[in-house]
Amino acid sequence: MATLNEKKTCSQRMENFQRFLWNPDTGQLMGRTLINWVWISLYYVAFYVVMTGLFSLAIYSLMRTLNPYTPDYQDQLKSPGVTLRPDVYGEKGLEIYYNISQQSSWDGYIATLQNFLSAYNETMQQGNINCTRESYYFQTTFDAPNKEKYSCKFTKDILENCSGVTDPTFGFPEGRPCLIIKMNRIINFLPGNGTAPRVNCTALDASPLEVAYYPANGTFSLHYFPYYGLKAQPNYTNPLVAVKLLNISLNKELHIVCRVIGTGITSDNPHDPYEGKVEFKIRIQN
Amino acid sequence: MGKAEKYEMYSVEMEKHSGGEMDVKIKKKNKAMKKKEKLENMKKEMDVDDHQLSIEELEMKYRTNITKGLTSTVAGEILLRDGPNELKPPKGTPEYVKFARQLAGGLQCLMWVAAAICLIAFGIQCGQGDLTSADDLYLAIALIAVVVVTGCFGYYQEFKSTNIIASFKNLVPQQATVIRDGDKFQINANQLVVGDLVEIKGGDRVPADIRIITGQGCKVDNSSLTGESEPQTRAPECTHESPLETRNIAFFSTMCLEGTATGIIINTGDRTIIGRIATLASGVENEKTPIAIEIEHFVDIIAGLAIFFGATFFVVAMVIGYPFLRAMVFFMAIVVAYVPEGLLATVTVCLSLTAKRLARKNCVVKNLEAVETLGSTSVICSDKTGTLTQNRMTVSHLWFDNQIHTADTTEDQSGQSFDQSSETWRALCKVVSLCNRAFFKSGQDNVPVPRRIVIGDASETALLKFSEITLGNVMEYRERYKKVCEIPFNSTNKFQLSIHELEDPRDQRHLLVMKGAPERILERCSTIMIKGQELPLDEQWKEAFQTAYMDLGGLGERVLGFCHLYLPQNEFPHGYHFDSDETNFPTSGLCFAGLISMIDPPRATVPDAVMKCRTAGIRVIMVTGDHPITAKAIAASVGIISEGSETVEDIATRLRIPVEQVNKRDARACVVNGGQLKDMESDELVEILKMHPEMVFARTSPQQKLIIVESCQKLGAIVAVTGDGVNDSPALKKADIGVAMGIAGSDAAKNAADMILLDDNFASIVTGVEQGRLIFDNLKKSIAYTLTKNIPELTPYLIYITVSVPLPLGCITILFIELCTDIFPSVSLAYEKAESDIMHLKPRNPRRDRLVNEALAVYSYFQIGAIQSFAGFTDYFTAMAQEGWFPLKCVGLRADWENDHLQDLQDSYGQEWTFGQRLYQQYTCYTVFFISIEMCQIADVLIRKTRRLSVFQQGFFRNKILVIAIVFQVCLGCFLCYCPGMPNIFNFMPIRFQWWLVPLPFGMLIFVYDEIRKLGVRRHPGSWWDKELYY
Repeated sequence: MATLNEKKTCSQRMENFQRFLWNPDTGQLMGRTLINWVWISLYYVAFYVVMTGLFSLAIYSLMRTLNPYTPDYQDQLKSPGVTLRPDVYGEKGLEIYYNISQQSSWDGYIATLQNFLSAYNETMQQGNINCTRESYYFQTTFDAPNKEKYSCKFTKDILENCSGVTDPTFGFPEGRPCLIIKMNRIINFLPGNGTAPRVNCTALDASPLEVAYYPANGTFSLHYFPYYGLKAQPNYTNPLVAVKLLNISLNKELHIVCRVIGTGITSDNPHDPYEGKVEFKIRIQN
Repeated sequence: MGKAEKYEMYSVEMEKHSGGEMDVKIKKKNKAMKKKEKLENMKKEMDVDDHQLSIEELEMKYRTNITKGLTSTVAGEILLRDGPNELKPPKGTPEYVKFARQLAGGLQCLMWVAAAICLIAFGIQCGQGDLTSADDLYLAIALIAVVVVTGCFGYYQEFKSTNIIASFKNLVPQQATVIRDGDKFQINANQLVVGDLVEIKGGDRVPADIRIITGQGCKVDNSSLTGESEPQTRAPECTHESPLETRNIAFFSTMCLEGTATGIIINTGDRTIIGRIATLASGVENEKTPIAIEIEHFVDIIAGLAIFFGATFFVVAMVIGYPFLRAMVFFMAIVVAYVPEGLLATVTVCLSLTAKRLARKNCVVKNLEAVETLGSTSVICSDKTGTLTQNRMTVSHLWFDNQIHTADTTEDQSGQSFDQSSETWRALCKVVSLCNRAFFKSGQDNVPVPRRIVIGDASETALLKFSEITLGNVMEYRERYKKVCEIPFNSTNKFQLSIHELEDPRDQRHLLVMKGAPERILERCSTIMIKGQELPLDEQWKEAFQTAYMDLGGLGERVLGFCHLYLPQNEFPHGYHFDSDETNFPTSGLCFAGLISMIDPPRATVPDAVMKCRTAGIRVIMVTGDHPITAKAIAASVGIISEGSETVEDIATRLRIPVEQVNKRDARACVVNGGQLKDMESDELVEILKMHPEMVFARTSPQQKLIIVESCQKLGAIVAVTGDGVNDSPALKKADIGVAMGIAGSDAAKNAADMILLDDNFASIVTGVEQGRLIFDNLKKSIAYTLTKNIPELTPYLIYITVSVPLPLGCITILFIELCTDIFPSVSLAYEKAESDIMHLKPRNPRRDRLVNEALAVYSYFQIGAIQSFAGFTDYFTAMAQEGWFPLKCVGLRADWENDHLQDLQDSYGQEWTFGQRLYQQYTCYTVFFISIEMCQIADVLIRKTRRLSVFQQGFFRNKILVIAIVFQVCLGCFLCYCPGMPNIFNFMPIRFQWWLVPLPFGMLIFVYDEIRKLGVRRHPGSWWDKELYY
């Protein structure tokens, strides 16, 4: 073994390496002759072409089996997530911190809300129909044009005081800010089991919290459910609930949780803080 | 002769050629050279001249007195100066160093580096304020844990075998009789000093190197030092200029068998011959084991590929537009992902399984890695005495009735006996039984004869045992023939004689029996007994005797002649006073009965084992301290020199030409004497080793044994040395694997060895070779299996970086694959039977037949691994699509997907997902990918069962452990998936059943593809296909 153990000097190593790169005696380039390289490359090209073909075939047949309207499984979507607008994240979750006397501190929030609600303009909702029934809006057939299903209209005037129309500042300067709660959409999900799910906001420290909900009672009308998916309802807009906090004590941080209450909506999953509820902190300074 | 020094040696030469280097550097190197020279000098013979000095000169030299000894005060002074008379124990490696060594192998280093990289990456991420993922930290911890746990495991294994070996050590302190101030003392041998006058007697161990001053029939057993089985006489005369050969020096730690002697201590402790050999042994650096070299080579490949891949994707990431630090983290992650975490555990467990298997066959391995070494061995240098032979004299041939008869020399008397009906035999037997002073120690009636303890010298012992076996109760037989007179053996008349009364009380004659050196006995005979008839001893019979004597002597055997004479009753009536001093009875004109020759016979299992080694392509070389004739005879009888092979001398005698005229290439065999070896250049020795396939080295010193081993290693051979004596220990250490005998072996030999045969059975070496080769093959399979999944573990990350899909496979999941589910199957491959008759193949060529060659790595990585990756991605995209994320949607999704501020990300169906929901979907992907790899790995473990044969030829269910491993792997997979709580602890999700099935076609593809590969390899050996795809 002695010969194998011999330590080589750096120059020897370099020489060996050079010889490995190009060996003039045997015409070997990196250990192979050129023709050998061609063969082995061809083999690998063929191998990978075949494998890619098989893979593509597998993916193609997978796509063929999928239903374009509804997903096969909704294993992770047992209960909808709930989101808040404006959504500004601090170190630990959503934080709405601003100073009444400093317009720049709340300008951003207002812009976010305006921007978010622009999808709820009358013009954007033209394709959707007006729904009035307080029950699930089942559609078994594709009655709408382009083989689609109808979506119910949700325009921002439903949010009344918090629509940004009457009060374009959403009550921020007065210390009574409007926040918008949205429930994530899930195909064929029927919340509430016949009664409309509603939003309920409480302070975590159990201090009394005065809240105005828009629409009244803070409910999501049942006729927005079920959702039939992007392909069936391309213009579907999530129903919203606006929350106007009325008695926020100034200069004090408040921890608020807004739950969507209704059967089938869980809000106690310790591993997903946004399932069925949204928590946020608010502090208004003057 | 540390590695570093060796390195420096070479660089000295290099730099001297280039010339003009910095002074300081050269100086430093010269120092290293001096050190080396010192060791070289030690390798040369040692000079002691005390044996040539006269007594007076000795007294002067050692300031002592040969009657009164040293004075206590002087002794005390010298003791202070020289230190105690004991061998400095070989610098025992401290336990923590042993443990640290376990943590510093090739693979371990790779993993340390990987762990360090992980920590750096983690540090960079922390520095960037990204605290979300502690994967890098987990990975680092896992890597370190693996190294430490396997280190503990390996350490424990070593500790256990060391304990087995240590239990053999004799811890009783030795006593010695010393004369100081004219008085006799019993003191501990370690208190002795140079110049002390000591007494030794039969049964004592010689306490130091002693120059004999007086001796009465003193014989010592030098077998552990020189390899001579026969007891050596020690007497005051100087008989040879070499201190090792002369009779007036007794060596430290040899055994005094009989007689008494007094002598002056000339060397103590480490300065004794034994001490110097021990020092020599400890100066010899242990060679790196072949498996360690293979693993280093393998680590080189891995590291090369890892850096290549990492660098490639670093560039890709930079081109895509990632920030530098991020790309750097990617680079590190890829490099780390290339480290096969599970491999270290696999290798360690596989090796220790084999070690256990070997231990069951009485081979204890000190160092786990040595398990494989015997499998790579191409040359075995074997000591003769005690290793190949039984180290006890045994009657092997008899000559009577003008015929040579062969006695049974097997250890258990299972061999054939000779014809015992002749009258001559009866007479000879009588002489053998009666003319013998040896006797059995009492109380051994139930012990088989060969194992009984006998008081007496070696040849008498052999004869006693021989007659006990052939004749029956010798002790009682002797009583019937009452001894009336005897003359013990002495070196001047070279015979032994005794006179007995006859058994039959009516027969009043006396029987005179005599044995001794054959030529002396013949001189005293006038008749010879043939077939019970006394015939006159004429020239014809004398010639017959000469031929027989030469034949037996040529076999390397010690020959004794036997004769007898019935003394006439009228001259020597009953009650006649025989006087041994006056010799008032005839000692000539006797009747010659026969010759008996004795030898230290080979162990029964040895010829077969040597044969097996030869068919396995392993060259067996005998290296002994014994005499050339004996060595050659034993070599021929065990098959080291095969039938029909001739030495140069043999050819010369056959052709009747001078030795110089013989073409040396015609001689297959060669016997080299230590004296010849001394004058040889090392190139010459290498040349001889190349020229003659069958070699015997006789009369070699420990240093020469070392040189022989080195020369074999220079030829590129992997050398195993077997031995038992102190004289073997340097060679044992130098060898790639030293094998010591457990029972007969000396402590020094056992310390220097890597493997110990507890039952002294040379045949165990064959088992070792077989197991070594098997584990090499099976390790190859295990490694191939383990490496394959590296690619499906790595590609998700590469795709994640380049195509920005949600991460398909998480770090913790990878760790579970590496360290949990796949360990058992990869270990189970160690139980795989050999594909072909591995004992009929040549030993592997350490340059060409690597453990991990390019073909293996490339085939595992870029073919099987690629198929596995495709399987994983198919399953991944299936799970994603069926949950709502179409493949095209996934592409480029990463930034949104991983944004934990985005709680309403839309999937392909318009559904909105919170971050938490997406995370669980990601865990589902992990699990699905995990299951895909597992399914493919089942196919992988099946194909790895064989490298050349079809799995159908090998048998699917023959390896039960492997079947159990697969079942276990599946169960473990199920457990991980479906155990409640897993999602939040280890990121495993309960996945749908059909996702288990998606990778199955790919698994089958792997199996079919590999069968096609093997078919091509079998059908077209040597073809392009074979070269590229056979690993």
